[in-house]
Formats: sequence, C-alpha cells, structure tokens
Amino acid sequence: MALVSIRSCGRCGFLLGLRAYATRPVGTPRKREQQDDTPVFQYVGQHRKPQGKVFVWGFSYTGALGIPSFVVPDSGRKKPRKYQLTPYRLDTEQKISSAACGYGFTLLACNSRDLTKLWGMGLNKDSQLGFQRTQHDRHKSYDYVLEPSPVSLPLVNPQETRVLQVSCGRAHSLVLTDSEGVFSMGNNAYGQCGRKIVEDEVYSGSHVVHKIEGFNSGVTQVACGQDHSLFLTDRGSVYACGWGADGQTGLGHHSKASCPVPVGGDLAGVKVQQVATYGDCSLAVSTEGQVFGWGNSEYLQLASVTEATQMSSPRLLPLRGVGRVRQAACGGTQVAVLNEEGEVFVWGFGILGKGPKLSESAIPERVPATFFGRSEFNPTVKVSSIRCGLNHFAAITDRGELFVWGKNVRGCLGIGKHDDQYFPWRVTVPGHVTDVACGVDHMVALVKTII
Amino acid sequence: MHNYKSMKLMNFSEVTGPQFHKVHVGVGHRLDAFSSGVLVLGIGKGNGVLEHLCKSHVTRDYMLEGEFGKATDNFTHTGRVIEKTTYDHVTLDKLERVLAMIQGANQKALIMYSQVDLHTQEAYELAVRGLLYPHGKSPPILTGLRCIHFNPPHFTLEVQCVNETQKYLRKLIHEVGLELRTSAVCSGVRRTRDGPFKVENALTRQHWTAGSIIQAIAHFSKATRKIRKLEMYKQTAGQLNSNAQVQEQTRMCENLVKTYSKRLTSVIATKGYITKY
Repeated sequence: MALVSIRSCGRCGFLLGLRAYATRPVGTPRKREQQDDTPVFQYVGQHRKPQGKVFVWGFSYTGALGIPSFVVPDSGRKKPRKYQLTPYRLDTEQKISSAACGYGFTLLACNSRDLTKLWGMGLNKDSQLGFQRTQHDRHKSYDYVLEPSPVSLPLVNPQETRVLQVSCGRAHSLVLTDSEGVFSMGNNAYGQCGRKIVEDEVYSGSHVVHKIEGFNSGVTQVACGQDHSLFLTDRGSVYACGWGADGQTGLGHHSKASCPVPVGGDLAGVKVQQVATYGDCSLAVSTEGQVFGWGNSEYLQLASVTEATQMSSPRLLPLRGVGRVRQAACGGTQVAVLNEEGEVFVWGFGILGKGPKLSESAIPERVPATFFGRSEFNPTVKVSSIRCGLNHFAAITDRGELFVWGKNVRGCLGIGKHDDQYFPWRVTVPGHVTDVACGVDHMVALVKTII
Repeated sequence: MHNYKSMKLMNFSEVTGPQFHKVHVGVGHRLDAFSSGVLVLGIGKGNGVLEHLCKSHVTRDYMLEGEFGKATDNFTHTGRVIEKTTYDHVTLDKLERVLAMIQGANQKALIMYSQVDLHTQEAYELAVRGLLYPHGKSPPILTGLRCIHFNPPHFTLEVQCVNETQKYLRKLIHEVGLELRTSAVCSGVRRTRDGPFKVENALTRQHWTAGSIIQAIAHFSKATRKIRKLEMYKQTAGQLNSNAQVQEQTRMCENLVKTYSKRLTSVIATKGYITKY
C-alpha cells in the first residue's frame, strides 16, 4: 500500500526519497478485513428490564434517609453528613412500590407476598415504626432507626397479603393491605390510630400494631394528617379519626375521635376518588372532579367558602377556572390541585411557586407550564401527579421529571443548595421518576432506570 | 471635438483587466471541516453586524446523523474504531427517555448560567417568558433536542443550541450512546439555521455570483437591522439585573468620554456625523 502511494506522488512530479513507511498514514481508513477483527462487546442483554431504585435526600440526623454512615460515619476521619442536598441512592433488597415520609421518619413498602413487606427508618420515639428490638436488650426498642429495618405486621395470612400503600403523619403511621384492612401504629394521644385512647399510655417501646375496624367496605386509600387520619373506601365514602381541634376530621365537632366515623357535610352521597392531607387541612376530590375541603383555614386554604379560620364540616370549594380536578395535595399552609389537562393550581400561604411576590392567595393560581419543560420542542408536556410536603411542593411530569419548589427546610428540596425555590426547579435524578413522597425535611423518590 | 479623456486606453476593461474592489469579508460562527450547512458571511460594513450576531446568543439548529455500534477516537465514523458494541436492545422509547434527561439537564444549565439572582420577581418574570439566556461565557447548552428519525443502527437528532462547537455535538452523540449502554458515532453534522439565517435562503455553489449575493444581502437587510436592535435590547436586559454593574459601566463611559472628548469633537467636525451623547 505504501509503495503505491509513493508511485502516485511521483507522477505529480514531487521529489521523494525512498522512504519506507513503517505505519499506515494517519486518516486513511482501515481495510475491511481488519475492521471485522475487533471484538463486539455486549453491555445489555436482550431481556433487560428497567429496575426500580430509591433515592433519598434531606435532613439525615433523624435517620430518616436510611443511610447510617451519614449519622455515624464508618471511619473516624469522616464527618457526619447533616444535610443531603442532592438525591442519594438508597440500596434496597426488594423493589419498593410505595413510600411515605412522616415528620422525621420514613416507611417503605414492597407489594410482594414475602414475609418482610415493610421497612421503616428514622424517628421511633412513639413506635411509629413498630417495635424495633435493640441488640443488647430484647425488651427495649430503638428510638432512632438509622437503616431500613423490617416492620412486623400481625397479619393472619402473611404469605398472601400484599401491602398496597403506606402513609405517615407526625407520630403515627398507617399501612393499607389488600385483604386485611388497615393497620396503624404510633402515637394515639388523639385517637389518630383508630383505637381507644388510653390515658398516660407510654408509646415508646410499644408493641401495639392495631388493625382498624369500623368500615362498612374495603379501604382503598389512607392519608395521615398531623394528628388525624383519613380513610377512603371503595364505595367512595370518607372516614376520619383523630384530633379535631381545627375541624380537620370533618365530623362536625372540634373534639377527638378515637375510632373512624364516616364524614358527612357536603360529602354525604358523593363518591370520592382521592383524599389528601398532611397538616391540619383536609381535601377530598370526587369522581366528578370537584374539590371538598375542611379543617384549618387560617392560611386561606378554604377562603373560597368561608372567612372563618376553621371548618369542621366538609364544604364544596367553588374553584374558578380550574376545570375538572384529578388530584389534590395539602401541605401545612398551602394547597395544590392538578386538573385533567395536567395544569397545577396553587393557593394558600407560603412560597407558592409564582415568584417571591406571591406569598399568599385565596384563589387558585395557575403555575405556568413553561416551568415544567413545555417549550416549542415539547409542546405536550403535562404534569401527571403532585405532592405536598409541609412547606414545599413536588410535581412529576409525564416525561418522568421531578420538579420541586417551596421552602427549602434543611435541604429537603434536593436541588443542591440551601436556598428557597420560588418557582418550579428540576431535580436531577438519574432515571424516570415514578413517585415521590414528601416529608417535613426530607423526600423519597421512587425511580425507574431508563435501560 | 472628441472627448479624449474618455478614449484613454485605461478606461477599457479589456486593456486593464477586471477591476477589483477590496472588500472585507468576515465569517460568523465557525463550521469545522467535518460539518456542512449554513455559514454566515459578512461583507464590508456587515462585519460589524457579525460581531453583534456573535454576542447576541442566537440559537443554532443542527441535524446530527448518528450510528450505533461503534466508538471511535474522534467521535466520527471515519476515525479509528476503539470499541464495538451490540445495539439491539435500543428502542425509540429508550432513546427518547435519554434525550428527555439530557434536555432536562440542559434546561437547568440554561437558567443557572443566566447570572440572574433567582430570588427576585424579575427572574421569575423572565423565566416564565422563556427569556432567561446565558449571559457572558457559558459552556455549550442545548435548548432543544429531539429524535427525527430512528432506524437502528442509524438515527437522526435535531438539536437547537447556544455557544456550541461541532466537536461538542459529535461528543453528544457519543454520550447518547453511552447512556443507552452502547456506543455511537456521528456520521454527519449539518447546520440548518444560524440565528435568522435559514438553510432555505442559503446560497449554494452555483449561486456564488455577484448578482445573487447582492439579492441575498437585500433579502437579509431587515434581519441585520433586527440583530442590531436585539443587541441593544440584550444590553438593557443585562443592565436590569445588577445596579452595581450599571453604575460601573456609566462611570467607565463617562471616563472614556472625558479622555476622548477632544478627539471625538474633531472627528465629528471632520466627518460630519451626528452622534448621540
């Protein structure tokens, strides 16, 4: 080959000495036989399916993130990591299908038929994660659980029942199973666990996991407020129990309820498809797309129907310009709804997502879709679900991106800084976000990988 | 009487040859040897507008042709093959998800490099209208990315970007391959739009004559005027953000004017220009 090239150059009349080329000149393509010699690597097989992963971020000292090395470093040289400001992968043995963040603790559930279906981590001073036996003393329970530890449920058929959903409040948690109803654990000082209030009960180190009775049909969704609980049955009726000082139980009075009572008011006869609560205000979305609210209204959450600061009976909220509502989410002082077209409306008090000027609103304000990635290249991006933490919002679009905004309490937004976020901001997660759970100062995201 | 002046031999072009005027020609954004497509040239006074075009952060559109299955040293299909991989697990669905992820990261970078204080209401207003653009130096950012054609192993992407180099775009194809757990090389980069200059109005080889060039310049005169105006608008938008910067700029301007005021007045007197103070 080299000799040929010298001859052709010679024809052009250049003076070339007899230089023997040891290597092929740079830039000329290799001959066919040499190309096929290189081995072909296979990194991904034909039947590989996307895996589910769990990412956590926020305040780690309570153990709510489930990574013990953040609180108690492995080696003496490392310092404990107080805030995890960006998503961090939490290694789990099973595929987690449902997660819930409470006030300083987290519950992860897997909907398999295995014996271990539920893991808990974080604060356990009120046994909201069940009884976590210590290594040294089998009668004592851990106050802080730093790693995802199995939570045992008193199931009749542990090898058949599946856990569908978990929900966490301030100091109690609810577990929904498919065939054995709802289980509750944790603090019951106001009856939020759905069982009789025992005076001076010591909740730390308690073994009590109570199966809640009193529903006339199967429960399809549970929601935990700060000190109250809401249950949605398959017939579309809502039950409530727990603290009622702000009227958040919706039972028409302001006292405690220690076992679930059906909620009336404007909800009587209405088929509800979703209930939402996290603080002291509660919302329900009917199958017709209407929103009913009750509870705390100090922050203008229910100002569309009442000027009072509390409402103890559900009322229909006449939301103008919102259309049919598909999903609602309640925070401590703010409320968000998602309509059928994938648009997000917010109102209440706090950082609502329309810049620093809008700090409170009594009427729903639409968050512009350009923040969620809508542009000329992607004109059809919609929000598919919204969640509320105590002081922040999270939205997941149909393209699997997670957007957060609100007050950045101890790094709970996961955007890499401690500053508050006044409009929706993308959280960089390596994968397609399918679900997110928001707590007070931490968040958990359930992510599916792309390959 | 004959007009002897007009009969001078010098006036006949057959004697002297064609007369050339010295014209300055400048190039807009560069296009390297491997790529093809729109290349903006400025002639004479248009070179000043070229500078404005470069500064004004207009976006550019590219069509990138890619091929799965091999990785080369210079990210093109003509380079030395480093590795070959299988690609039968790649579907359009997975490719779109990877592109969505890349686009998400770039949208975030767009706002972060805009050097605007995100805690202000003005930042929110600009973000809603999509006017947050990187000011000053920034790494290459893609403002839009989508897959036009997918026929494994070949695929075509349409990219809209700011502040890029063609080598970055070829590396982008390689990275798309990596995210899909395979390898990819770029087999073509074609610029279809540079700011307001689209490929439909570009002159091809046959049209590189004086007549068509003059026509093209006339066609784009509106666009060049717009670029000049856009540059002034961008300057004012930048000034909105930091008061301190504005004060410093005005001080600098004042100093400049003071030192060069004498020279300025003499220039004005001789050339007869009217300038704004």
